[in-house]
Amino acid sequence: MSLVSDSDTFSLRSFLVRYGFLVIIAAFFAFFSLYTGSFLSGTNLLNIIEGSSILLILALGMTLVVALGGIDLSVGIAFDMGAAFAIVAMKEYDAAWYVAILIGIGGGVLVGLLNAFLVVKLSVSPFLATLGTFFIGSSVQRIFTGGGGPISHRQAPMEYRNLAIGDVFGIPSEVIIAAVVLLIYFIFLERSIFGKRIHAIGLQKTAALVAGIKVNKYIALGFIIAAATCAIGGMIGSANLRMFTPLAGFSYLLDAIAAVFIGASIHPHGRPNVPGTLIGVLFLGMVANGLNLMGLDFNTKDALSGLILVGALAIAVAQKRLR
Amino acid sequence: MSVNSTIAAGHSATLRRAALVGYLPLAIFVVLLVYLSFTAPNYFSFQSLDLILRQAIPTVVVCLGLSAVVMAGGNDVVSGGIDLSIPATAVLSAAIIADQVTNHGTPIALALAMALIAALLVGAANAVLVVRIGMTPLLATLSSSVAVVGIVKVITSSRRINVDHPAVVWLRDGSIAGVSVGVILTTLIFLIFFFAVHRTRWGMNLQAVGGSRDAAEISGIPTGRFLSQSFVVAAFAGGLASMFVLARGSGSTPGTEENLLLEMVLATFLGAAFSPRRVVTLWGAVLGAVLVTALSIGFKSIGVNVFWTGCIKGALILVVVASASLSLKASARGSAG
Repeated sequence: MSLVSDSDTFSLRSFLVRYGFLVIIAAFFAFFSLYTGSFLSGTNLLNIIEGSSILLILALGMTLVVALGGIDLSVGIAFDMGAAFAIVAMKEYDAAWYVAILIGIGGGVLVGLLNAFLVVKLSVSPFLATLGTFFIGSSVQRIFTGGGGPISHRQAPMEYRNLAIGDVFGIPSEVIIAAVVLLIYFIFLERSIFGKRIHAIGLQKTAALVAGIKVNKYIALGFIIAAATCAIGGMIGSANLRMFTPLAGFSYLLDAIAAVFIGASIHPHGRPNVPGTLIGVLFLGMVANGLNLMGLDFNTKDALSGLILVGALAIAVAQKRLR
Repeated sequence: MSVNSTIAAGHSATLRRAALVGYLPLAIFVVLLVYLSFTAPNYFSFQSLDLILRQAIPTVVVCLGLSAVVMAGGNDVVSGGIDLSIPATAVLSAAIIADQVTNHGTPIALALAMALIAALLVGAANAVLVVRIGMTPLLATLSSSVAVVGIVKVITSSRRINVDHPAVVWLRDGSIAGVSVGVILTTLIFLIFFFAVHRTRWGMNLQAVGGSRDAAEISGIPTGRFLSQSFVVAAFAGGLASMFVLARGSGSTPGTEENLLLEMVLATFLGAAFSPRRVVTLWGAVLGAVLVTALSIGFKSIGVNVFWTGCIKGALILVVVASASLSLKASARGSAG
């Protein structure tokens, strides 16, 4: 219907509607490049990508849950459990590195199972269910570590440490892991019949049910797969420091939510989606990196990144609404 | 027995079961409180009741604010009304007062005015994000609370600021006719909220908007305006809570907002589970806040490891919310047939 009016005259409004958020990204990119000399260098850009890998993994898990119409406030707990289970398995039980990785994923699955049980069996809303999981998971970590002290494992096998510090042809292994997870999620969520069903459930649960989709099974599996994904992120984090840091996953929660919603806002139909989440994660990574390079004091940096987060989300959502 | 009466008996049995499941949260609390009263020394004394009420004050006040938002926005946690930034706002206001009074020697009344204005600004920002821009309240207030906490860090340099101003000390220790000043003031704030929400035209319209936005819109109520006002009211409640936050902590401490947020959400939705229709109410929120504090203090006084508190609170919120939603489901099934 807008073919005639928009095709021959340039309209700022329709331009912003289509590319508003990309303009913001470009503006920040240009600003950081001009303001700090080191931002626009190959190593720094690789730093941004490497620094965004763990967040991307968590945000992908979040994308799955949000696409199903829920939200997962316990991604940080799954992250912590992945790290804790893997580190403890190696330190206390001398597990081989690949066994430790499987056990770590198992730790995440436990968190996902609890969420799935609460949401599907007890029909608690995802927000409150995962909030409860968050309380319980945080408390369990405090009890287990006697108040939140880290569990370090200096003699972690090299193979495990390579999750974070290794590289293949110069590409850091965490980037490769994140890329693999990204690819799997993309095929699964955007290019398969399962993805179609997941989006159908998120859009209209009742309609999906009537259409014969096993809604509860998908929701349960969604929480479990998301938590297992977050556990992978947790293991990368622990491989880097060779220790399990209790409650470390919490710091990713808000960024993961923000990345998913930024991604949903730049999608033509406002749906959470894998490429959008990637853009959201890279945006947040770029801002964090740029503010670091500007050499601001720690508190100012926190305040600025909070304000940028609000502004970016507002613009992304406004863009979606103008459409 | 005829077929009809058998079915009817079946229905009433389902309904009875629904009612029983619905009483579960209250029953759990009663059992816990009775247990504590036998094990904790002097648990049911006037002093410990006074202590519980005084400890509960900041949570009660922020819960009143959250209730207003939930009433205007509807009960759904994700798509309906929620304001997660109230505790951050309270901590912002507390930081402003502490910084002004202790570091700049500003008179406390002026500092309080500045703090309240800052709180109102946060509320207005939330209103713009939700009503004008169309962000979901959960996302809008979660991100604004991060920004507010960042601003608090700039104001306080992430340090604790002590406040020993007589007004704050009076708020903490003072009492009129044996009742703490804080408790009296909070009761007053509750009564004002109660009157505004349940006895005025504004309150009726506010609840109508939350009940069904479409229906309210059709009846000619400017729903956007009421939603906006609810966020401003909530932020104002956060601003008022700042004085009690200062009094409870004898100053502003970084990180206070996290625990306050957890307690606010727990108490408000716990309160909803107590109400017959499972909706958020002012009474329910206050009851929830007091009960949660009573349990926290009770567990502390019988020497339960403090690390367990989060676990207990998390389990409580899950049991309460699950039994509420299960009983709602069962009663829908019982009355539908």
